[in-house]
Amino acid sequence: MTFNELTKRIFMTEILKGMALTLKTMFTKPVTRQYPEEKREALPGFRGLHALVRKSDSSLRCVGCGLCAAICPSRCISIYTSEGVDHTKVVDRYEVEVLKCLFCGFCVEACPFGAVVLTEHFEYSDYSREALFMTKEKLLNNWDKFMAGKKGEQYFEKYWRPLAEDFGTPENQPVLKNRRAD
Amino acid sequence: MATAQKKLKKELTINLGPQHPSTHGVLRLVLDLDGETVVKCTPHVGYLHRGTEKLGENSTYLSAMPLMDRLDYVSSMTNDVAYCLAVERLFGIMAPERAQYIRTIVSEMTRISSHILWLGTHALDIGAMTVFLYSFREREWILDLFEMLCGARLTVSYPRIGGVRNDVSQEFIDSLYKFTAEFPARILEYETLIDQNRIWLQRTKGIGVISAEEAINWGLSGPTLRGSGVTYDIRKHFPYDAYDKVDFDVPVGQHGDVYDRYRCRMEEMRQSIRIIRQCLEKLPRGPVMAPDAPKLTLPAKEKVLADMESMIHHFVLITKGPMTGQSGEVYSAIEAPKGELGIYFVSDGTGKPYRMRLRSPSFVHVSALPRLSEGALVADVIANIGSVDVVLGECDR
Repeated sequence: MTFNELTKRIFMTEILKGMALTLKTMFTKPVTRQYPEEKREALPGFRGLHALVRKSDSSLRCVGCGLCAAICPSRCISIYTSEGVDHTKVVDRYEVEVLKCLFCGFCVEACPFGAVVLTEHFEYSDYSREALFMTKEKLLNNWDKFMAGKKGEQYFEKYWRPLAEDFGTPENQPVLKNRRAD
Repeated sequence: MATAQKKLKKELTINLGPQHPSTHGVLRLVLDLDGETVVKCTPHVGYLHRGTEKLGENSTYLSAMPLMDRLDYVSSMTNDVAYCLAVERLFGIMAPERAQYIRTIVSEMTRISSHILWLGTHALDIGAMTVFLYSFREREWILDLFEMLCGARLTVSYPRIGGVRNDVSQEFIDSLYKFTAEFPARILEYETLIDQNRIWLQRTKGIGVISAEEAINWGLSGPTLRGSGVTYDIRKHFPYDAYDKVDFDVPVGQHGDVYDRYRCRMEEMRQSIRIIRQCLEKLPRGPVMAPDAPKLTLPAKEKVLADMESMIHHFVLITKGPMTGQSGEVYSAIEAPKGELGIYFVSDGTGKPYRMRLRSPSFVHVSALPRLSEGALVADVIANIGSVDVVLGECDR
């Protein structure tokens, strides 16, 4: 053991260095959040509670094709349809078992009409299972509550994928600014 | 007196887990103890078995992907990349270059986040609490970046067969670049705390030693293997995505003990930062979904209701899976943060795999725990569990 190592060992320099770091950190701003009082906004595109899109004439956009139910990995969507007047398909029930959902967002991608969305709302805990069994009316309410207006339009522009631009090279495709490769 | 002595000599059998804070989930080890020395160590796995392989065989190639997120739930992005790569190799398609670069970036971000979590919990098990608090600060940062990218923090489901879900935003690129600039200083902080700390050294140096030859024979992979001095890295030896276009080193240890495995992972985080920076600088312009694989990728949404062929593809792909008609088998492995994550597919030409088999690193690493722990002290068992880095979701599948 050299003299240098011996002094390091006696004076516990490595521990003192660590202590100095923790002491320094004590004077920095805390990173923790006091959650229920202090809330953090979910970033756009967050995959939260489901909603069904309401058209401008306040009717359902869903046509009941059943693709969302077909792709759902946990099979939490069930759709019941019947024949209406003029032989149109009427969606009688559209139900989502939120407790079974794993929030992959595949239903949004599968929907050819853009009729189902995942909102940015994530604080929906409740005391009963029935409260988290989303019926058509509840899902439409979710749309009114969380996504109606501009937010919904922006959602479909950004997160209803794949769009044609994903298969091509759109203009102003984001790359690192001032990079060396250009 | 004689009976008392006989009693003392008897080995004590204890259960470590499945509800023990340092077993990283639901690992159960049955330890036969002679005093404080472990005579025999028997791992019991299966407490988190969900039948992922069978579930995968019963759902289409498309809709089985979210199951992969739940294998190694701290590095879900690499699992998804492994799955998508396997399906792409099975059907012989390639993701476009931009998608490959994005996948490389997110894989390396996952590697950092997984190693940070490993570092925090491993140090916490051994008794260093501060590292845990600091490392979770940075992990939160990466998870925020994931949320910005795809809308989910942990179970991302971001890569797709033939590309990625959505293109990266300018905001994401800028914040990730900022992260790569600041993170190396944070690694230094962790190292200031434990790298030379005498308690840390005593708890890790010379513990759980496994030689290079034995490590290979046990089937170890990833940093656990490289800690023993074997330069085996799938990213270098069988490059996938954009790994052959970037420059990075493979850190290896010398002694094969807990400390060397720790050093390997710390260096890997630095290399990951290097890879991310290069990928960001080289990120090419172009599509993010393969345009030449209509039977495997969902068609563009504008086309679904406008173009007859796209509509048929859309409906068939979602209800029946990719009807390629190609049968065959493939084994495709990637370098996940824990080690070699391999997926073996047998296709019979229908939309669902005939057989799906997962080769998960954690399962193999758990099987090596008795070799590492027998003859050591109980406290070293904890250090060993931490150093082989197991996640039970992946181990039990």
